[in-house]
Amino acid sequence: MKIGLFIPCYVDVVYPQVGVATYKLLKHLGLDVTYPLNQTCCGQPMANAGFEKQAIPLAEKFEDKFKEFDYVVAPSVSCTAFIKINYPRLLEGKHECITSSKIMDVIEFLHDVIKVDHPLGTFPHKVSLHNSCHGVRELGLSSPSEEHVTPFNKIKDLLNLVEGIQVLEPERPDECCGFGGMFSVEETVVSAQMGLDKIQRHMKTGARFITGPDCSCLMHMSGIAKKQGLNVEFKHVVEILAAGL
Amino acid sequence: MKSEKVMSTGHSKAAKEFLKNQTYAKWHDATFWAVRSKRDNMAYGLDEWEQLREKASQIKRHTITHLDEYLDLFATNAEKNGCIVHWAKDANEFNEIVYGILKNHNVKKMVKSKSMLTEECEMNPYLEAHGIEVVETDLGERIIQLKGQKPSHIVMPAIHLNHDDVGELFEEKLGSEKGNHDPTYLTYVARLSLRNEFLTADAGMTGGNFGIAETGDIVVCTNEGNADMSTSCPKLHIAAIGLEKIIPNYDCLAVFQRMLCRAGTGQPTTTFTSHFRKARPTAHPMHIVLVDNGRSEWIGNPEHWEALKCIRCGSCMNTCPVYRRSGGYSYSYFIPGPIGINLGMLRDTQAHSGNVSACTLCLSCQTVCPVKVNLGDQIYQWRQQLDEFGTANPQKKLMCKGMSAVYGNEGIYNLGTALAHWANLIPSPLMNCGLNPWAEGHKMMEFPKKPFHKLIKDLEK
Amino acid sequence: MSNKEDILKRYRANVREMYDMPDLSDIAAITYGDPLVQFIKMTESVGGHVIEVKEGQDINTLVREMYPDAKEIASNLPEVTIATRNPDTVGRARDLNGTDVGIIRGMFGVAENACVWIPQTMKEKAVMFISENLVILLPKSQIVNNMHEAYKRIEFDETYDGYGTFISGPSKTADIAQVLVMGAQAARSATILLLPE
Repeated sequence: MKIGLFIPCYVDVVYPQVGVATYKLLKHLGLDVTYPLNQTCCGQPMANAGFEKQAIPLAEKFEDKFKEFDYVVAPSVSCTAFIKINYPRLLEGKHECITSSKIMDVIEFLHDVIKVDHPLGTFPHKVSLHNSCHGVRELGLSSPSEEHVTPFNKIKDLLNLVEGIQVLEPERPDECCGFGGMFSVEETVVSAQMGLDKIQRHMKTGARFITGPDCSCLMHMSGIAKKQGLNVEFKHVVEILAAGL
Repeated sequence: MKSEKVMSTGHSKAAKEFLKNQTYAKWHDATFWAVRSKRDNMAYGLDEWEQLREKASQIKRHTITHLDEYLDLFATNAEKNGCIVHWAKDANEFNEIVYGILKNHNVKKMVKSKSMLTEECEMNPYLEAHGIEVVETDLGERIIQLKGQKPSHIVMPAIHLNHDDVGELFEEKLGSEKGNHDPTYLTYVARLSLRNEFLTADAGMTGGNFGIAETGDIVVCTNEGNADMSTSCPKLHIAAIGLEKIIPNYDCLAVFQRMLCRAGTGQPTTTFTSHFRKARPTAHPMHIVLVDNGRSEWIGNPEHWEALKCIRCGSCMNTCPVYRRSGGYSYSYFIPGPIGINLGMLRDTQAHSGNVSACTLCLSCQTVCPVKVNLGDQIYQWRQQLDEFGTANPQKKLMCKGMSAVYGNEGIYNLGTALAHWANLIPSPLMNCGLNPWAEGHKMMEFPKKPFHKLIKDLEK
Repeated sequence: MSNKEDILKRYRANVREMYDMPDLSDIAAITYGDPLVQFIKMTESVGGHVIEVKEGQDINTLVREMYPDAKEIASNLPEVTIATRNPDTVGRARDLNGTDVGIIRGMFGVAENACVWIPQTMKEKAVMFISENLVILLPKSQIVNNMHEAYKRIEFDETYDGYGTFISGPSKTADIAQVLVMGAQAARSATILLLPE
């Protein structure tokens, strides 16, 4: 099984340690992981802003770079969802999209494909789980609170394999944090309010860390928390899974 | 030049004002979340909830793509029942038809139950200008009518007013006890006032939650009984209904009736689910006005035709985190929230493009929608069309062009990411100036010295 | 061409892909071990009252006991002897205003939501809404589980075949500051008298 590691633009620049944790975790599990060089972006920021055609050349590059792998794994639910859902349509008429059926977020990959069920790292802390919208409602990482379905949460399942951890969920467990890409700079006040409300709900659980499967949510909330002087820390789920390994 | 002016829309400016009153904004958010929670309890209480949503969606897809047949059947049956059926191609024609009927019956005063369709057609001001007094009888609608305001939500139109606002209004307009702002008392004051209106009106108008093709029934759902009072005393009943509200038969109605109130208000049913087939024996024949006003065009829109499935329950607004924190008046269209963004664009892309960015694409709306309108997906699609409509934000367009250029060229990207950590050294006043909208709500992130693509070499060893 | 033809023609021309009607016979709708028990529970939860009438008990005595101060009682039901007004014989609908108790007949109840199907069986249906208090006579064996079952059996009266309604509890509103108030524009209380067979 050959795995191609996709590290999205903002993870590359702002949260490289998440990329490092992902790489280390996959290697620790004995997997054949390659990071093809010269990656850039999946195109989601432009597409959500209304210019999805600008994602087409990026989709072509992505196809080219990753088509030989069995799986493409990324530590980002929003990028994964964007590629999975939109690349086939964006490349329609040019050629069949291969990578959209191979791309998986690292959490769904570990849960559904590798089916990790043995203890992972060590992280003896209370964490509050941030169920990022793309993960819930596009990738099915957890049961949406809106739906009447048997509850499940793949992120929680994996986190519970970490030694010493206590996983909590806030009230309104899958309400949006308010990032929304361009939304955060276009509707600055609503975005900041949503972020603050979410952080406060997370903190109400008593957790020291807020963790989630997408750095864009974490980047948004940590920026707000710092500005508001709130004492809470942020970690991507994969950093916790790899902690101490 | 402040960033606010550069990227702001009508919605973002209004939302900013809305959030200035933090006490009120928190109450607004909590109130609508409570309704969303009540909906959740209803959904969790029925094992068949998701099955019902799927059936409802399929029934609507079938019905609205065969709507001409069902409309014909509905009209035929309604006419067989003795009703007079009118067809209005647009809002103006609707208003003219209604006025014509009222004039023919020498109507001076008409009571009406809630109808978003009449709001859409701006019927009230039209009739008032032609000398007909129109009295809203849904308590929420009556309150905003007396106050001279528009509805801020399609099901709870006066939700933005507290009991003091209503108390003061009733003191002024209905002569209620000064200082008594108890909601039970105020409701009683309205009851007495409206009772008099029902008894003295010459005509009653209702909307239609559903029209049943197989039988010609108009079905109206209310908690107050005001549609039934509006049609039990006055001798003329006019029912106004949008084309897309017609459904095939009672088996279909069962599905929608079970979902409408559970989704919209978290109740298992409205108090009254009334079937109007014909006028009562002591009244004039019942008039039904079917209204197009764009619907026959919208069905042809490849990305947005499914907006016609909407049954106007309001659950998308209740769950929308942006609506809850900005209120109905922040939107430029008379219907707010996710369905309002979509219907507004179908109505007028030039006037309502500003709403399209009032969304994080969280997709909660389409996950609650009882008929599975793909509300969030459609908002994404409207965004792709703004450029062709000529309403794309130029600053956004420029930013995306810039990003494209960087991401499209590995050389530039690698250079940019290598230099990114220098941003850490930019002095705070400069970084947090008006040109950086991110800095309005966030402290700037720290850029690590090396991006991942530089670290990987060491990891691979 | 008439407006109707215009609209239908334009609509038909614009429809793109067509979809089939789904099968509705496999909806796994909720059912109850004892629908009557659920009906009573739901009626109480929506603010209504339920009284089980005993074999041989006179409903007229019962209504008098429930509303000792009632002056005007409206009903066209043959078994109601205490009516002071009759919705079949009033001059105008508005003459029924000021009715303290309206007594009407329901055909069947729905367990899932406390709805009672009430076809119009009187000249002036205003009696169902204009009365301050509503009393509905309902045969206690006639309770169905859910609205799917209900909509398979609703019927309209032969004479007054223009109207029928489901009523679930008293009229209500929460339009003022989200405070729930019973008695908006119609009856302020609704009592179901469950009749023995």
